[in-house]
Amino acid sequence: MTGQATLRPWPLSLVSCVSIVLVAAGVLLTGVSWWFLLISAAGAYGPGLLREFGYLHDRDEFQRMAAYRAGYHAYLISGILAMLLVAFFRASDLQFNDLEELATLFLTSLSFTWLLSSLIGFWGAQKSAYRFLLTFGIVWLAFTILSNTGSEWRGWLPLLLHPLLALPFFILAILSLRLPRLAGLLLLVSATALTWFFQFFQRDNLAIINQAIVFILFIGPLVASGIALLSTSTLRSSSKRSQGKGNDNDNTDDEDEI
Amino acid sequence: MKPTETVLNQLRHYRRLADITQQELADRIGVTRQTILSIEKGKYTPSVALALQLAEALSVRVEDLFQLNKGSPDDGSGNA
Repeated sequence: MTGQATLRPWPLSLVSCVSIVLVAAGVLLTGVSWWFLLISAAGAYGPGLLREFGYLHDRDEFQRMAAYRAGYHAYLISGILAMLLVAFFRASDLQFNDLEELATLFLTSLSFTWLLSSLIGFWGAQKSAYRFLLTFGIVWLAFTILSNTGSEWRGWLPLLLHPLLALPFFILAILSLRLPRLAGLLLLVSATALTWFFQFFQRDNLAIINQAIVFILFIGPLVASGIALLSTSTLRSSSKRSQGKGNDNDNTDDEDEI
Repeated sequence: MKPTETVLNQLRHYRRLADITQQELADRIGVTRQTILSIEKGKYTPSVALALQLAEALSVRVEDLFQLNKGSPDDGSGNA
């Protein structure tokens, strides 16, 4: 190594930045008209189409492999979801006319599974889990602080105590780097507990579709991180056993740091 | 059996011998640093084209960088 201090390049490419801006702009403009969602579609799927037709060469083979694997995972998860819903509606006598809700559910499932899987494939399980949990913690922290300092002042005690609910996310984030197997297990337990706590899927009306979307958005990252951490640490420990050497923590290498 | 479980690599060893960082190596062959990191950690086995580019960038033979794992495919051996 040269030992020279070099600036790290901006992690997002120009294509990714344009894509994110288009997706965000489209979503924001849906308040004006839902037709603007097509701008989001251009941002989300345009670069992929251009890559497939050979007009865009902004990704190396590892990034392409991560994207292809993510596509396969999205197909598996959304396929299972589709089968479940077809079985559910065919087996019951329920009439369901809110087709846009169903389409939203599939769009959420497809997009979110693809996003989570490609991030885990690109960054690896530990780094992805760390970043997901950090994001969750920061969002929760901001939410609790803003809700306590908004128009309704509730006193200093809630302002100091409510942000503590974000603490488990930060602890799990650190654990995911140091003890990935334990962190993975705790994430799956937490996801189960939160599912039970918020009573997802326990109502007998068709709000189940909205609940499923919320479940994918909030519990999905915890489940995906937990499974990835458990499978990665299991694979690694079996590899180390067979080689009879090695350190269980890859992050000891200075170049592997986040 | 995973593809990455059948190929061992010495990329990190030869990169350190060449005294270059992951980012510098990545810049030389036009990939991301994450790609170099994943190959070094044995999470990703590169294509023949990328393996040849890596060997050329480090001035070594490709078979010095990558070796087929001669052990049982089911022994779970990963990369070095």
